[in-house]
Amino acid sequence: MTTARPTSAETASIAAHRFGLGEADLAVVGADPRRWLLDQLGPAEQPPADAEGFLSSADLVQMRKSARRAKKAAKQEKSAPRDQADPGDPQVGQQLRQGVLAEAAWRYDLQLHTRRPFTERLVRFWANHFTVSGAKGAVRPVVGAFEREVVRPHVSGRFVDLLRASTTHVAMLVYLDNAQSVGPGSRAGQRRGIGLNENLAREVLELHTLGVRGGYGQADVLALAQILTGWTVEPETARTRFTPNRHEPGPKRLLGKTYPEAGEAELAAALEDLARHPSTARFLATKLVRHFVADAPPDALVDAVAAAYRASDGDLTAVYQALVQHPLALAPGLPKFKLPEEWALTCLRLVGVPKMPPARLVRGIAGFAASVGQKPGEAPSPAGWADVASEWLGPDALSKRIEWAQAASQRLPTTSLPDARALATTSFGPRLSATTAQELARAESPRQALALFWLSPEMQRR
Amino acid sequence: MNSSILTRRTLLRAAVAGLALLPMARLSVAAAPPGRGGSSGRRFVWILLRGGLDGLWAVPAPGDPAFAEARGALGTYAQAPLKLDETFALHPALTAAHGLFTSKQLAVVHAVSSPYRERSHFDAQQVIESGGTRPFTLDTGWLGRALQQSTRRALALAPAAPLSLRGAREVETWSPSLLDGPDDDLIVRLSRLYAGDPMLAEALGQARRELERAQSAQVAEAEAMGAEPEAAGAMDAPGKARKRAALRGDPVVLAERCVEFFDAADGPTVAMLELSGWDSHAQQAAENGRLTRNLKALDATLGALATGLGDRLDETVVVVASEFGRAVHANGTLGTDHGTGGVCFVMGGGVRGGRVHGDWPGLAPPALYEGRDLKPTTDLRAVLKAALHRQLGLARPALDAEVFPESAAVAPLAGLFV
Repeated sequence: MTTARPTSAETASIAAHRFGLGEADLAVVGADPRRWLLDQLGPAEQPPADAEGFLSSADLVQMRKSARRAKKAAKQEKSAPRDQADPGDPQVGQQLRQGVLAEAAWRYDLQLHTRRPFTERLVRFWANHFTVSGAKGAVRPVVGAFEREVVRPHVSGRFVDLLRASTTHVAMLVYLDNAQSVGPGSRAGQRRGIGLNENLAREVLELHTLGVRGGYGQADVLALAQILTGWTVEPETARTRFTPNRHEPGPKRLLGKTYPEAGEAELAAALEDLARHPSTARFLATKLVRHFVADAPPDALVDAVAAAYRASDGDLTAVYQALVQHPLALAPGLPKFKLPEEWALTCLRLVGVPKMPPARLVRGIAGFAASVGQKPGEAPSPAGWADVASEWLGPDALSKRIEWAQAASQRLPTTSLPDARALATTSFGPRLSATTAQELARAESPRQALALFWLSPEMQRR
Repeated sequence: MNSSILTRRTLLRAAVAGLALLPMARLSVAAAPPGRGGSSGRRFVWILLRGGLDGLWAVPAPGDPAFAEARGALGTYAQAPLKLDETFALHPALTAAHGLFTSKQLAVVHAVSSPYRERSHFDAQQVIESGGTRPFTLDTGWLGRALQQSTRRALALAPAAPLSLRGAREVETWSPSLLDGPDDDLIVRLSRLYAGDPMLAEALGQARRELERAQSAQVAEAEAMGAEPEAAGAMDAPGKARKRAALRGDPVVLAERCVEFFDAADGPTVAMLELSGWDSHAQQAAENGRLTRNLKALDATLGALATGLGDRLDETVVVVASEFGRAVHANGTLGTDHGTGGVCFVMGGGVRGGRVHGDWPGLAPPALYEGRDLKPTTDLRAVLKAALHRQLGLARPALDAEVFPESAAVAPLAGLFV
């Protein structure tokens, strides 16, 4: 990456594609691209209050239980009829799948049309940072609700609020097993001989705050696991609840500081300190810069972002300001390779696809992403999706992008088929390469031109 | 019946017209003709289990006097474990593996670990795949470096090459797709479009070569079988069903595909598969739980490789390992937290099968690593060195310095192969 000063049209193009989801016409960015980005910040969009299918996590977990009971009851019916107090509702499983589909379609629809694409990119970033994955079946119905309830409200707020909301959310407590963890010295632990599960504690330290070499050890994992005991899910309501009789009593020593026994209050205090830790500032800055700017984040930019984090005590709006105002962040070039889901989404956004039935929209984007190893909502581990090109660019992965671009360009209704040559110019401005412009001009048909445009380096990278 | 996308009609036309005028088949499926000999020589398959397999759950040691107490609730199984010897047994889901152990085609190496001693998945996977001694000191993989000086071709059953294979001269990739393959005109245009983008150009070039190989194999097959112009269909039904299964993540399909690639004339002879979801922090014994399902899938995968390879299993070596083992004691939720020593399976030709290799450290409290984990007594690199020496003919200097840097002190595991 060079540090040559870009022209304002170039900066607009970089802002729109590197920090947003692409714009068909750079005119929307206006004369001050940095201002355009920062004006988008704030809490992220939520589904309209009257929309159907957007239930709270608690309701969704309850529904899943009901569906499972119904399935079990149906099985038992076959072998030996048996009375059961609450047989569950067999319709609920279908409703749940519909709900997950409606939620995915709402999110895609929003991201295809939003005027606040930077905020949506940040939502995607934090949802990946705090991954809850439907690869674990019990979590599947609430991945979308986690994003709505945890990420969207706090996306431009203080990091510690995001961290607290994530750590105590039903989806996270279930995904990383804390719902089952019990202090061995607690009343429940003494009585039932059950104990700790250190999964959530380890990942809060390794993946959510300090980072793997952030300066903690096994003793710190244990201490945080003890602090986390009692944070569980109430079976009747499926809501988060702090259960004092599961909480490990006594003082805990985490990262050299002693937290006196304070029950529920211990976690808030520990998370405040973890959020304020210099390793956390560095780790989050590195991840943000890696996501938006370069697989190998430049030190100067990471330093500036981490400094803003520390100076503002973890105010994410201040962090984003430091990021986009740094010259390195908007330097010319195409340093990042888009992940599959983002690439397909941006392809369709630039074309301005017409309204589609939810199932078709989701199949079109999520189905493709899944075929190249990025099944939305089902990251294989709590680390989320890797954010470097080497994980996503291989011959088979490229073949599948070509197949998708070919199929999607063929299926687009003629009324929404753009002139790819014009679109490339209005969307990329001075950054459109001569090679791409020439190949688009030479294409044998408008549909082939569109497929070539989607597959161009300008579109696959940012 | 093969599962190719190329229709019989297309094949007939292609065979007549010659390769130059071939319509482009899909890039991502390089179908191999059944029944052909395939390239001769030794083959190697590396299977990585991501998430940390509980080695003591897959291969318990009921004969160890400390076993029952150390494992507590995880010391007993719903069905009896399958006995291996006086000390060890296999998880009851591993029936195919047990059969292969009995026929001496599969060996177990217990108390194995990479040199990594912390408990982070991501660092541990980086070490086990890079072949380094510390995380993030190498950006290529041990298998990739092992192939650097070789003319052998490698295959990743994944959309992009995993770290293990990075550094190889060329890695083919395959994963299932239901869309039509790209047409050749688009490919030609893309190769001009990527003139200024080396990464995209390289991926496209490899994809093209994979396609061309698939096409020549198919033309040969069409000629051999006598083309049947009537039997034209976009994809035959078994092929479609198999792809759907693969899209759902069934590793057996990948194993079958791997065998087909191996069988193709001039096909790859080294392959890598990944199975994820082994991070069993809670209720790991559940009958329909994830770990049980994963063990069944792993067993079916090994079974499919052995069956598919048939006699050629004798010239193949398959190594299965995970980034770390898990704590010996059950945690508070009937699962296991991240640990150190684990288990490794070695299947195939020349393996001294039917036995459990490695020094067993025992499960008595003082024998445990940091008081909680199975103490590693065999370095995984010793296993891999022995396998690479036998299958790829690599000698100590290369193994010690290039494939696994700074590992001169780690000798290939003695007695693993005949």
